Amino acid sequence: MIYVKTASSISHQNSFQKESIWEDLHVLKADSVVISPDYKNYIPAAALRRLSPVLRMAMTAAQECQKAVEVEFDAISVGTALGCLKDTEKFLQTFISAASETLSPTAFIQSTHNTIGGQISLALGNHAYNMTHTQNSLSFEVALIDAMMCCREGKKNVLVGAADEAIDFLELLRNELIKTDRQFTSGASFFVLGSEPTKVSVADCSITFNSIDLSKEVDSFLSKNDLNHSDIDLVLHAGIELDSFKNSMNYEDYSGFHYSSSAFAFHIGHDFLKSVNANNVLIINAQMNEKLGLTLLKK
Amino acid sequence: MIEIFVTGYGAISSIGNNVEEMLQSLLDEKSGIQKGKLPHSEKQLVGEIHFTNEELIKKFGLKTTGSRTGILGAIAAKEAFANHSINAEIRTGVISGTSVGGMDTSEIEYRNLLEEKPHNVANYQFHSSGNSSEQIAEELGIDGFINTISTACSSAANSIMMGARMIRQGMVDRVVVGGTDGLAGFTINGFRSLMIFDEEWCRPFDESRKGLNLGEGAGFLVLESAKSIEKSESTILARLRGWSNASDAYHQTASSPNGQGATLSMTEALSVAGMKPEEIDYINAHGTATPNNDLSESQAIINVFGSKIPPFSSTKAYTGHTLAASGGIEAVIAILAIQKGYLFPNLNHRNVIEETKLQPITTIQKVNKIRVVLSNSFGFGGNNSTIILSE
Repeated sequence: MIYVKTASSISHQNSFQKESIWEDLHVLKADSVVISPDYKNYIPAAALRRLSPVLRMAMTAAQECQKAVEVEFDAISVGTALGCLKDTEKFLQTFISAASETLSPTAFIQSTHNTIGGQISLALGNHAYNMTHTQNSLSFEVALIDAMMCCREGKKNVLVGAADEAIDFLELLRNELIKTDRQFTSGASFFVLGSEPTKVSVADCSITFNSIDLSKEVDSFLSKNDLNHSDIDLVLHAGIELDSFKNSMNYEDYSGFHYSSSAFAFHIGHDFLKSVNANNVLIINAQMNEKLGLTLLKK
Repeated sequence: MIEIFVTGYGAISSIGNNVEEMLQSLLDEKSGIQKGKLPHSEKQLVGEIHFTNEELIKKFGLKTTGSRTGILGAIAAKEAFANHSINAEIRTGVISGTSVGGMDTSEIEYRNLLEEKPHNVANYQFHSSGNSSEQIAEELGIDGFINTISTACSSAANSIMMGARMIRQGMVDRVVVGGTDGLAGFTINGFRSLMIFDEEWCRPFDESRKGLNLGEGAGFLVLESAKSIEKSESTILARLRGWSNASDAYHQTASSPNGQGATLSMTEALSVAGMKPEEIDYINAHGTATPNNDLSESQAIINVFGSKIPPFSSTKAYTGHTLAASGGIEAVIAILAIQKGYLFPNLNHRNVIEETKLQPITTIQKVNKIRVVLSNSFGFGGNNSTIILSE
């Protein structure tokens, strides 16, 4: 069995350093902003100035996870769909419009997807396995699958999470490439997985591509886990409307839109199981057409 | 314990459009690095593939269009998968590494935006790194597990490692693994901003080395379990024995002077393989030819192998540094070394590095037997990976 030891999110909700975020979730208003902790408590001021929002959020959430478990992580698995967008755009602007021969490398250095995982390892002085996964709307799920593999290989404290950031540029892609009416948001959610029993376990996570019949996929995932629809106490979903479950909520109402927001759903599901008398949470991520991520959390 | 077999390989780079051409260039000691021929590369020496995207699509009969990264990946993956077919009984996946995905298409469109020219939003559809892997999977007709690893220059090695672990855990039977990166203005300017280009041909492990030459390409393997091979009836090319990834946790772009991360990754890969250092017959080093990498890697090699350093070389003076593709292309080179019994040289080498005095292989050598090859790939963020292949 693989258990969740701790959860930490920085999001547009009041989610950081909360015993449970379940009781204090609010449907986001269209102009919501990230509720940021005081990053200075986690990142030296000199470093903080040059770190983009996604790096600040991820490094802080990861350090909060480290504080909670104390023992050094023996693997780190990060998912990000679009990576460090702010620095990517900044470096594009820099070199395209550069008048001089010399370019500042900072934005380039901080633009690659694995800057997130790399900066976490640097902040923690961690020498373990460090992986960065990116698979569009399933980026958190692939990071989670790797983290679960690490646990099955005997690793005891595996940091797993996802982070993505919104930039204004994304508005240009709305409708034509990014099909959503929701606000583009930023978010970082990190968790520690291990074999030591806690209140919540991750029973399964699976991803499929070219999924045409979503409800059939959901049914076969449930039956693989010996569950019926009625066993699921809460369904957290995106990109699909469901009426066959007793209790469901669209997690994008709370996370807003970013491609790794199923990580925030994982946090909601985790805290729900921790605080409510219930046994099973199913996360259905159908944010992008034909791509389906299914995650099962159990008490 | 499930053993991991390599049953397909494919590569494209500036030294060849396929594995056979690459082998010939390696034997001829013929580098693919020359003055760039495109607006974004003309100021540098680069390992460029001299075909446009349209020419590549036509030449290789690709279904995919998309970014250069996706196109190069599809070409090498298609070669690797050429003797395979889709079989409902073989759960097959694709795991590909890339550093900047479809940036080569995005940067053209973004320039239009900045220069207030007509801006076609549709051209960003290939931007995300994940798309390049989906393009590859579609080209091969694979609709199982798809994943993209983006850990800069260790991406392909990490994809190979992830594929092996998934087979070992029984999650897939067969998996196409590797990496791809097309040259882009973004990366050329990025490395220029870091001031780590050599204006001459790069000289890995040479005292006078000044930096790297960039390259582009893709390299893929097909990994399979024995059970899968019974069904696919594919030919075994090599075995993947060990793998590891470790973090240097020293600096976002520089490697530690004592090579801690690289030492950890090599040591752990040997332990996964259940091998002793003396069993390694050849090391295909990361060897980018930057002053920092080669010194750090040399130190790490000394840490792991002590006074008994196996023959080693970096083949980046052939291909240039192909970033996320390098671990895939070099895994193919490692298998060629095993199959053909050649130690491929570290071109342009004259003098050993003063501090470490490690002498790489400098001319092509036919040897009796190469059983086991260790291949290093190190990326930004101190991301160090090692894989071990054997006959």
